[in-house]
Amino acid sequence: MVIEALIKIAIVLLVVLTAVSYTVLLERWVSAWVQDRIGPNRVGPLGLLQPLADVLKLLLKEDIEPMMAQKWFHWVAPVISISVAFSVLAIIPFGHSLTIGSTIIPLTIAPNINIGVLMLVALTSVGVYGITLAGWSSGSKYSLLGGIRSSAQMISYELTLGLGLLSVVMLSGSLDLNAIINSQSAGLWNIIRAPIGFLLFFVSSFAETNRQPFDLPEAEPELVGGYHTEYSSMKFALFFLAEYANMITASSVITVLFLGGWHVPFADQLGLPALAMSIVGILGFVLKVLGLLFIFIWVRWSIPRFRYDQLMNLGWKVLLPLGIVNIILTALEKIYLVN
Amino acid sequence: MPKFTIDGNEYEAQAGQTIIQVAQENGIDIPHFCWHPALSVAGNCRMCLVEVEKTPKLQIACGTIVTEGMVVKTLSETATKGREDVMEFLLINHPLDCPICDEAGQCKLQDYAFDHSRGESRFVEEKNHKDKRMPLGPQILFDGERCISCSRCIRFAEEVAHQPVLTFVHRGDHVTINAVPAESFDNNMSMNVIDICPVGALTSRDFRFKARVWDMSFTDSVCPGCSRGCSTRIGVRNNEILRTEPRNNPNVNSYWMCDYGRVEMYPAVNEGRIDGPRMKDAAGKQQATDYDTAARVTAETLKKYHKDEVLILGSAAVPVEDNYAMLKLAREHFGKQTIPFISHIVGEDDRLLLKADKTPNSMGATLAGCVADGHYPHVHGEKAAHTTVLELLRSRKIKAVFALGDNFLTDPQLLEAFEHVEFFACHAANETITSRRADVVFSISHWAERDGVFVNFEGWAQSLNPAVTTNYQVRGRDQLNMSRLDRFGSPYDKWARGHKRDAREGWHFVQLVSNQLGSKWHYLHTEQLFEEIAATNPEFKGMSYESLGSLGQPIASKHSMVKEPIYQEVYQETGAPLMGSGN
Amino acid sequence: MGYNTKYNNPSTNRKLTLWEKLYLPEVIRGLLTTFKHIFRPKFTRQYPEERWDPPASFRGRPVLVMEENGSERCVACGLCSRVCPPLAIEVRASETEQLKERYPVVFEINMLRCIFCGFCEEVCPEEAIIMSKDYELVFRDPSEGIFGKDKLLVPKAELKERLDFLAEMRN
Repeated sequence: MVIEALIKIAIVLLVVLTAVSYTVLLERWVSAWVQDRIGPNRVGPLGLLQPLADVLKLLLKEDIEPMMAQKWFHWVAPVISISVAFSVLAIIPFGHSLTIGSTIIPLTIAPNINIGVLMLVALTSVGVYGITLAGWSSGSKYSLLGGIRSSAQMISYELTLGLGLLSVVMLSGSLDLNAIINSQSAGLWNIIRAPIGFLLFFVSSFAETNRQPFDLPEAEPELVGGYHTEYSSMKFALFFLAEYANMITASSVITVLFLGGWHVPFADQLGLPALAMSIVGILGFVLKVLGLLFIFIWVRWSIPRFRYDQLMNLGWKVLLPLGIVNIILTALEKIYLVN
Repeated sequence: MPKFTIDGNEYEAQAGQTIIQVAQENGIDIPHFCWHPALSVAGNCRMCLVEVEKTPKLQIACGTIVTEGMVVKTLSETATKGREDVMEFLLINHPLDCPICDEAGQCKLQDYAFDHSRGESRFVEEKNHKDKRMPLGPQILFDGERCISCSRCIRFAEEVAHQPVLTFVHRGDHVTINAVPAESFDNNMSMNVIDICPVGALTSRDFRFKARVWDMSFTDSVCPGCSRGCSTRIGVRNNEILRTEPRNNPNVNSYWMCDYGRVEMYPAVNEGRIDGPRMKDAAGKQQATDYDTAARVTAETLKKYHKDEVLILGSAAVPVEDNYAMLKLAREHFGKQTIPFISHIVGEDDRLLLKADKTPNSMGATLAGCVADGHYPHVHGEKAAHTTVLELLRSRKIKAVFALGDNFLTDPQLLEAFEHVEFFACHAANETITSRRADVVFSISHWAERDGVFVNFEGWAQSLNPAVTTNYQVRGRDQLNMSRLDRFGSPYDKWARGHKRDAREGWHFVQLVSNQLGSKWHYLHTEQLFEEIAATNPEFKGMSYESLGSLGQPIASKHSMVKEPIYQEVYQETGAPLMGSGN
Repeated sequence: MGYNTKYNNPSTNRKLTLWEKLYLPEVIRGLLTTFKHIFRPKFTRQYPEERWDPPASFRGRPVLVMEENGSERCVACGLCSRVCPPLAIEVRASETEQLKERYPVVFEINMLRCIFCGFCEEVCPEEAIIMSKDYELVFRDPSEGIFGKDKLLVPKAELKERLDFLAEMRN
């Protein structure tokens, strides 16, 4: 069991780390396309080796620790960020399960967690510590403001996130992620069953991952980078990785909760062998995640940043009431339609 | 005393004055080319046309004597039109090659073309071609095309230089200027015609194309060439002197200076300098050292000898302050009442400006308390009472010599007598026979790099201004005369990186040595020394750098010689052009 | 009235319709706009391979015109040096036997200082210093940035386009 888990961790980590660096490339490409440019195309064929060059550059930079920084916290903040971002992946089911011979390997690092949703919420809310700590320990006013903004924003949107999540839990009647996926197996994804819940969760995900239009903690024009202003070299790279890892995590979670997870519509009617089905499932999952990543990036290059008061208004006065209303609607839906 | 009006204002004139003279005295600028306050009136350029009431035609202001009740209009329509027409005529055959011409930037024709001309040419025909690079003398090249035939140079040669060899040749629009056949304008005053030429027709072989006028910064100074001490203005670019020109000082040199002072003095500042102090090592070879070591060694060595074995020498080539400091040292530490200096009388007076005494400050040195050495011909002060320097040296009584900056070992007799001198410390600005003989050389600032006062043979004291910077002396005491490059260049620009020498004013070293010998001098600036001189020496009573100004003052016993400067305010024939002095 | 009054003054702000106030539809509209741009033709120039040939009016690095006989057209009048706002130009003149008796012995432009304003070209009475099309200036050392006559002199024939442009634009 342990060896199996370790192998899965290694594979997932490898895949996700590669995916993260290629998400950066995707980000740069999409931003270029949206602006009628070509984007990175110099390093390697089609610019595919660009992430390697980026990593190399970051590795070779000087690691600067500001004079006013709280050294230990300054060091530990990016570690918190990155580990939280990756640890969420432990509970995400990437596929159904792999059947090799007689052994059935569930495609989750930590399978059979029956309160997966709670675990998810618990882990993601730890992520704010990394950013807040970084902001405070840098000893810079910009970083501090970024950190404070981040904590306020995360708390505000965590509520909405939870409320959106709740509708899914209500519909599937379980906290187990596998159960949630299976409840959508009939092709009736939660996005259709709980569209408002999806909207709330999706919007909040943007806020939780500090992506545009909610990237106030790192707003370049006002805060010169916010919480990571004083970070350089590999420590900066960790924050950078964490942001994109969070994007992947958030996409995976949305896929699991609202887009039917590894379920590919009409695939079971093809009558494929079990192994092939598993692979199709994984591919379906990856494709859905990719699509969501593209939307994340696409939104970033289309919509301008909110003002801080607008952000708070939206969170507390629009999304939160909408979430409460949504709970009632979902309850009604559950009573009158599903049953 | 006729009273008359110019442009509605009433002025009073001396009997026999011309309109332009009165106008200049009262600050009214009447444009003119051929008229010069120090030359006779020719009236051939017609630029100074003014309207005089009750005369049918325009009159030339330079040739019209003021009469009682005369009404002169310089700005009337007729007068303006007249001047515009004259300018148009003058510009017909002028090549308009200002980009090439050295005069550009300080050219009367250029200025008047802006102020008194239509600004456009109606002349479409082929311009006259004349000789372009014709030497009129060893220093002067003549460009016939640029010449406007004002005849200033002809009159100068005749009236001031007393060598009437220049003349007009040909007629009409072919008129040009040439030297009389088989003659050449080789007078020692010849280069003044370059200054007075209102256009760029006469150019200096020495300066030709070296720099644009506006690239140089101009600093008032005094010529160190002879005891006349002509008032000069030094043109500097990249911390290098490019030319010297005379400055109007009615009490000293009027508008002129001699070619010797103009071209032979400044190269010594630019080339062959001693850059930093030197000391002879055990092998007898001069090596660079620092000031404190040089001063300590000098003081310690001088101390070893008996006071009578030490000879302290003043100098007529350095300002009063240095001589004063040296004399003070001699009195405090070597029990001497006076110190000798060696005169440099070469040739004879030229009866114009150049004096036989080729040092600028023999009068000043004498006034400061030094005595001209009796062995050499001299013009100021008493003969040294006992023995001359040469006799002292030959008697082998002298073992150590400490001298101010003066290249006196050019005399072979002295050099021979110096063989028995065991220790010789001297001030020197240039690599000379004297500096090579010395055991310790203090590198001093040249006249163009420092403050100080020269007193000329008539007793007229003038102050120097730093025109070139050294490591220790920044340019300009009162105001910084800076060109645009000086002002905006940074030390990293190649063209602003003119070489700054490691040199100080002579008294610095006297003070260093003196303090090593036990004094407690604390002079920070040359001006402090001069203040002390002015307070103690009756001849300099009441003087200060401020009161000396740009024109200088007579010493107390020569107060009668003051001539009032005329035209100084409005008329500066060789004035620094506005573009050069400002930005 | 400031230039941004229009945007700061609440009275001129457009009232949003209810549809627009819903925000989401407008967000989607915006997203569609950017999505369309993904398929538009790209403006990017693949620089080292695809080079740009500037029009004659382009102000590239200033160069000196070299006449057919190989001598400089410049007479070293120093006006360019005088007018140069960043003091990038140094000219040192000397005498020559040619008809124009003055020529530059040293003509140096500090390309690290040059701001490509073209004042030197405008002030030049001889049309001897003109702006070229050369925009590729790379130095590995600050001293390489000081261009002497060797780099500045360009044969007249190569500059024909700019010279014609100047002839047309002057007067």
